[in-house]
Amino acid sequence: MKKLALAGMLAIGLTGCSSEDPQVLNLYNWSEYMPQEVLDRFTEETGIQVVYTTYDSNEAMYARLKLLDESAAYDLAVPSTYYVSKMRQEDLLMPIDRSKIEGFGNLDDDLVNLDIDPDNQYSIPYLWGTTGIAVDTDDVEGEVTAWADLWDERFQGRVMLTNDMREVFHVGLRVLGYSGNSTDPQEIEEAYEKLAELMPSVRTFNSDAPRMPYLEGEADVGMIWNGEAVMGKETMPSLEYVYPEEGIIAWLDSFVIPKNARNPEAAHQFISFVLQPEIAALISEDIGYATPNQAALELLDESVANDRASYPTDADMENAEFQADIGDDALQIYAKFWEMLKSGR
Amino acid sequence: MSSVTQQPFRTAVLVLVWGWLLFLVLTPNLLVVGASVMTRDPGSFLSLPLNLDAYRQLMNPLYLDVFLHSLYMAAMTTLICLLIGYPFAWALTKVGKQRQMLLIFLLIVPFWTNSLVRTYALKLLLATNGLLNNALMSLGIIEEPLRMLYTEGAVIVGLVYLLLPFMILPLYAVFDDLREDLLRASHDLGAGRLATFVHVIVPLTLPGVLAGVMLVLLPAMGLFFVPDILGGSRNLLVGNVIKNQFLDARNWPFGAAASIVLTLAMAFLMFAHRLSKRRIGEDGV
Repeated sequence: MKKLALAGMLAIGLTGCSSEDPQVLNLYNWSEYMPQEVLDRFTEETGIQVVYTTYDSNEAMYARLKLLDESAAYDLAVPSTYYVSKMRQEDLLMPIDRSKIEGFGNLDDDLVNLDIDPDNQYSIPYLWGTTGIAVDTDDVEGEVTAWADLWDERFQGRVMLTNDMREVFHVGLRVLGYSGNSTDPQEIEEAYEKLAELMPSVRTFNSDAPRMPYLEGEADVGMIWNGEAVMGKETMPSLEYVYPEEGIIAWLDSFVIPKNARNPEAAHQFISFVLQPEIAALISEDIGYATPNQAALELLDESVANDRASYPTDADMENAEFQADIGDDALQIYAKFWEMLKSGR
Repeated sequence: MSSVTQQPFRTAVLVLVWGWLLFLVLTPNLLVVGASVMTRDPGSFLSLPLNLDAYRQLMNPLYLDVFLHSLYMAAMTTLICLLIGYPFAWALTKVGKQRQMLLIFLLIVPFWTNSLVRTYALKLLLATNGLLNNALMSLGIIEEPLRMLYTEGAVIVGLVYLLLPFMILPLYAVFDDLREDLLRASHDLGAGRLATFVHVIVPLTLPGVLAGVMLVLLPAMGLFFVPDILGGSRNLLVGNVIKNQFLDARNWPFGAAASIVLTLAMAFLMFAHRLSKRRIGEDGV
């Protein structure tokens, strides 16, 4: 009897690690970036179980996928803008078979066939969004209209920044009038010095769930992702999302299939599933980021479609800048100053 | 050959222990040493040629600063653990055997919960609108909520909370061995309470203190998730630098070198511990 049980456990173990098990999709996504309902419905429709793993920075995701080994065999990942081109160039991705993708035509013409991936051979846009300013209007008096306002003395110890090197430096660079994608060591150093002045005001860095420090009352003003601002506002109506004058940080997150995916078939199925207007609309309504799916826009709830935080106006997007790949040399300079910034007291 | 057949159990244990040390201790550490002398490579993480650049990079005053601050927080943690743990362990040996077991059991129970979860729980306590602030405000002790979360103090509180049992257990062991007749002899020979404490109790419990310090000080420098959660990703420990180098900056040689320096510091402390133990041993004779 005991032996039987042992054999049974062994069998379960074996099927668990079998590389050809078609019933599992390993999805590697940003934290809080996919409603559970979507995963459940996908499993219901296709019978494919979704193993959902999360990360909180492109760097962490990249570091795992780069290994291309068994411990990190994901079928789908969701890198941001410039990481798509980086991973494509480093041969980490599997080409997407468009004949297996339904609903590609639903996507906004402005968000496909971009420089990061001409003709979308390797990536399919999932959501796009912005990083702007969050203000708790209950605790903050007066207007906050620009990144530079964060340096105001009244915000001593009340500012939150995302725990994202590129985004934080983007803010420093834009305040000085430079591009957020600067690769000039001189400009990066100036941005570091500018940001170092902000540090005494900074209460915390957070990229897990950037709305939480505002809801917890730890921070009153600072950086936030637009979807987080929308989710946060549901709990705390006084949380406002502001488009800074110097320009918002914009990004587009896309589905990619890593080269060592075990179940690319299921990955294609999942992409098609999410491209359905109804599902895309559900995702955008639930987590507050903007869908690139034009057909979904018509299905959106009025309140979501008119929410400037999720769907900015043209004026809001003035001066907006997408993050671009800055190359490894510049990345090292950023990394050095980032460490100095965070360890400085 | 005969010993193998005669003592299968002994052989099995030896194989297990040596296999463990070889594959799970020696090999990974050698890999880390290897990585630390290689060159950073943006494409494949590591590449030849071998060099000591990573160690040279560690000499940067920035990292010295992080190391010293980390050491300071770890030292404060150790000191607080010692101040709480020493009387705690002593008192523990004064209660009846039965109750002693219960108290030790209670000390160990929190280990059954993942330390990450417990750290998040502390966050709920310390938050601006957290339990502690709400309690103090409703009692009228404070008017405005105290800012406790995301400070150096919060990091130290978290470290103390996680590491205190590691201080208490070795101390409990030495206090348990402390023979009552030695204390009585000290009294009989005319020593007062203070003199007995300084000249008898402290020297006899010193090995436990040193063991506790070792078990607290070095782990305290590596628990990177505590500053991440309670320090707001500020007040970094050496462990954070190592993690950031591996995950964010993707500079594996540098991360490996930092990790080796931390290991060497640990080895140095253990060596000092051995020396002091020998000295105490001789004194005791």
